[in-house]
Amino acid sequence: MKIRNVILSVFIISLSWSCSSDDDDVKIQEPLGDYENGILVSNEGPFSNGTGTVSFISEDLSVVNNEIFKMTNEEDLGNIVQSIGFTEDEAFIVANVSNKINVVNRYTFEKIASITEGLNNPRYFTTANGKGYVTNWGDTADETDDFVAIIDLQNYTVEGTISVVLGPEAILAKDNTVYVAHQGAWGQNNKVSVINTTSNEVIKTLTVGDVPNSMQLDASGNVWVLASGKPAYTEDETAGVLSKINTGTNEVDTNFEFETAQHPGDLNLDGSILYYNLGGKVYTQNLSSSTLDLDVALEEASFYSMAVYNGRLYGTDAKDYASNGTLTVYDLSTKLAIETMTVGIIPGGIYFN
Amino acid sequence: MEKKQLFLFLLGLLVFAQVFGQRDSVIVLDEVILNDTKLLHFSKGTKVRVVNDSVQQKSGASLTDLLRYNSNIYFKENGYGMVSSASFRGTNAQQTAVVWNGININSQLTGQTDFNTLIPGNYEDVVVRSGGGSVQYGSGAVGGTILLNDSFTFNDGWKNSLLTSYGSFNTSKLAFNTSLGKEKTSFQIGINHIASDNDYKYLGTNRRNENGAYEHFNLNANVGFILSETQILKVYHNTFSGDRDFSGTLTAPADENYRDINHRSLLELSSFNDRKIARLKIGHLYERYRYFPNKQRDEFSFGQANTFLANYDYKYQLNKINFNGIIDVSSIMAKGTSIEKAKRNFVSGTFLFSHDLSDKLNYGINFRKEVVSDYNSPFLFSLNSGYKASKNYTININASKNHRIPTFNDLYWTGAGAGGNLDVLPETSWQVDLGQEIEIADFDFSLNAYSITTDNLIQWRPNNQGVWMAMNVQDVSQYGLEVGFDWKKKWGNQNLVWESEYSFTKSIDNTTDYQLLYVPEHILRSNLAYQYKKLVAYYQFIYNGSVFTTTDNSDSLPGYVLGNMGLDYHWPDISGIKLVLGIKVSNLFNKNYQNVAYRPMPNRNFQLQLIAKF
Repeated sequence: MKIRNVILSVFIISLSWSCSSDDDDVKIQEPLGDYENGILVSNEGPFSNGTGTVSFISEDLSVVNNEIFKMTNEEDLGNIVQSIGFTEDEAFIVANVSNKINVVNRYTFEKIASITEGLNNPRYFTTANGKGYVTNWGDTADETDDFVAIIDLQNYTVEGTISVVLGPEAILAKDNTVYVAHQGAWGQNNKVSVINTTSNEVIKTLTVGDVPNSMQLDASGNVWVLASGKPAYTEDETAGVLSKINTGTNEVDTNFEFETAQHPGDLNLDGSILYYNLGGKVYTQNLSSSTLDLDVALEEASFYSMAVYNGRLYGTDAKDYASNGTLTVYDLSTKLAIETMTVGIIPGGIYFN
Repeated sequence: MEKKQLFLFLLGLLVFAQVFGQRDSVIVLDEVILNDTKLLHFSKGTKVRVVNDSVQQKSGASLTDLLRYNSNIYFKENGYGMVSSASFRGTNAQQTAVVWNGININSQLTGQTDFNTLIPGNYEDVVVRSGGGSVQYGSGAVGGTILLNDSFTFNDGWKNSLLTSYGSFNTSKLAFNTSLGKEKTSFQIGINHIASDNDYKYLGTNRRNENGAYEHFNLNANVGFILSETQILKVYHNTFSGDRDFSGTLTAPADENYRDINHRSLLELSSFNDRKIARLKIGHLYERYRYFPNKQRDEFSFGQANTFLANYDYKYQLNKINFNGIIDVSSIMAKGTSIEKAKRNFVSGTFLFSHDLSDKLNYGINFRKEVVSDYNSPFLFSLNSGYKASKNYTININASKNHRIPTFNDLYWTGAGAGGNLDVLPETSWQVDLGQEIEIADFDFSLNAYSITTDNLIQWRPNNQGVWMAMNVQDVSQYGLEVGFDWKKKWGNQNLVWESEYSFTKSIDNTTDYQLLYVPEHILRSNLAYQYKKLVAYYQFIYNGSVFTTTDNSDSLPGYVLGNMGLDYHWPDISGIKLVLGIKVSNLFNKNYQNVAYRPMPNRNFQLQLIAKF
């Protein structure tokens, strides 16, 4: 299967090269690498032992290459690949249990460096103001040692840390400001930290719904934070909340409350529409609505993770968590599945390269 | 006498179940003192192997080491000395029962036994009973049962044995055993201390097993009193205390520590005459673990369970027929970081029947029903028969329905992202097993074929809300073939024992037809021991076939061949003290291997051992 895919991808690449060489008049940009123009899926890998992987799917969905980091670099990424963050040319692949970030060229996947010092339970990466920022839970037994690591993007080392409240998770940059959603690690939290990347200080801590799990930045400069609410087992179940943060004032502008037993997640933005997952369905929310729309975009959609991009929805299935998962692509206009592809074990992140 | 002891010191002196069948030579008193009645009378037609104490002494530090080379069980070890679980006949870790002096000691919390926390050497024998045994031994006796039996010797004087050993990775072992057998009293204490830095090389890398040190302490103490000609009182006790740093993996370092403690106590009063044996047992089992995710810090999570049990067992013999009725009552309380106080009450009734139709043909019918406070337990049975077709050829057949009950974790777990499920059902399993054995002169061949089907396999999966919980998700089947070959030969002052076993195991998910995780299709093992006068040389060989590490069989670990070699020298007696000096090389070929993915096992290592008996 894998070999077939490799042959297929080589075939396609050589085809595109041969096309471009025939055409002398038009200047065609050299391909930046085998993994340009496609979808990257980060697969967490088995829980207690082993390594996560990254899968590549070509834009036309015809080619699937699994384990592209290992194929290129002949080494393992590390245990529990939590996420990938990107700069213009590089991908930062975060291995949570291994306390390691592998830095690769995002188009060739050739390894540039690995960051192994100064991380403790790293989760997500973003870049702002010429630096990288990585959320870290710290030791899970210690609720006060959570931090955001500052990464020097020249020599790929942790150059400093910013202490934050419990359980920093999703991270997002708006110009020189970084927003961190505090899901709460193994517990629950309800904060968003606002970090000034010039002073590298937390300038504000906002309160949102309980257990904020995902964020999006819209074209008007608002940060949308989706909180799932506290789950039933806490015996203090709370409702999910969608919050809109005005990044000009850094205040919570609006809160949209769900019902108590509703625990939404996986906030996505495509154009002017927000998408999120709730109880096995995907719902939409128009950015300009003044109440929760609760319009169903897709039924029967119990995804392990999902992403929406250019009118298509990409959802993963982790199956039994001990075998290769799948990625299914849906056309949101027809609500039909276009293609399902086998990726790696526990596919947790979907990115567009 | 010394010759006999030397011979016993050889590997693989296998005694088959049929030996127990020779009822006539065993007097009732011996039965009461020595034997597990369920094994003696009600396991006919079942494959049973006994590993004696001399083999136990030379087979490493744990029950994992012992059984890896003396049975066809596959062990999944999270690095050497770490948590070790068994796959017996292709079944999972909760489907092998471990029974200590007749009491099932699988953890109430996890349903399995960590085979690195049981220290052989002080038991009279370790018995490997293949196939279903839930009627006799309760939950988890699906793939098979491991029986740990203590012994009581009367009229035997005072005997002591001291074992010291030292070797690679700063591994030291000290074991002392003393027993005193008077006319009416029997007393035995065995103490083991085992410690190791366990910092072996990860072959093919420049790293070592940095967080793998362990230290184990084990005590066995048993007292027996012959109260009268018809009554015996026995008291058994075992304490195990373990302190282990948990090894990391090739991709993740570790800073964990795990401490566990087990106390097991049992009081048994037997009253007997020529025809009947009545036993009353009262016991207490205590298990507790403490897990430190970061050993530099004070925080830990824990779990503990207390089991109080009482058991009345009445056996009656009428000519060639044995009846046995057993009533068990137990109460189990568990609590922990992720289990709020939970309690289970349990009553079971068991009826065992065996009949020798002739010297050649016997059969047995056995039933069990349990009534449990927190789930519905199925009706269990087993049927078995043995037929000695000729002087050299025996056929055994058995069929049984067995179960594996939900554990306290399965039912009562509470915590972030995971929860117990009170609706989970016990796993039920049907099986048939056909065995044949041919003994000709010094050769012994055996062939077993079996088939197991298990419904409602309990596995942890996330529910619709993403909360992990125990569920009955799968039906699975196992079938396989086991071929044994033993050869014992004696010429003048030379002795040779060679025993080998090959097993073919299919263990499949009935829905997908894929082989289950970590079940090798092929295992071949072979032990060869040769004695010349006072010198014994032995070689242990194992081939472990490839195992799948994903349920869609997309990834696997390669198979491997391992060899161990050892030499023992039996010193001439020095003023009544017998000394045995031994050296053992493990992983002779310096093979880089794993039995759990990303968790390397040790490189070649050496162990020097001295045993003094006086």
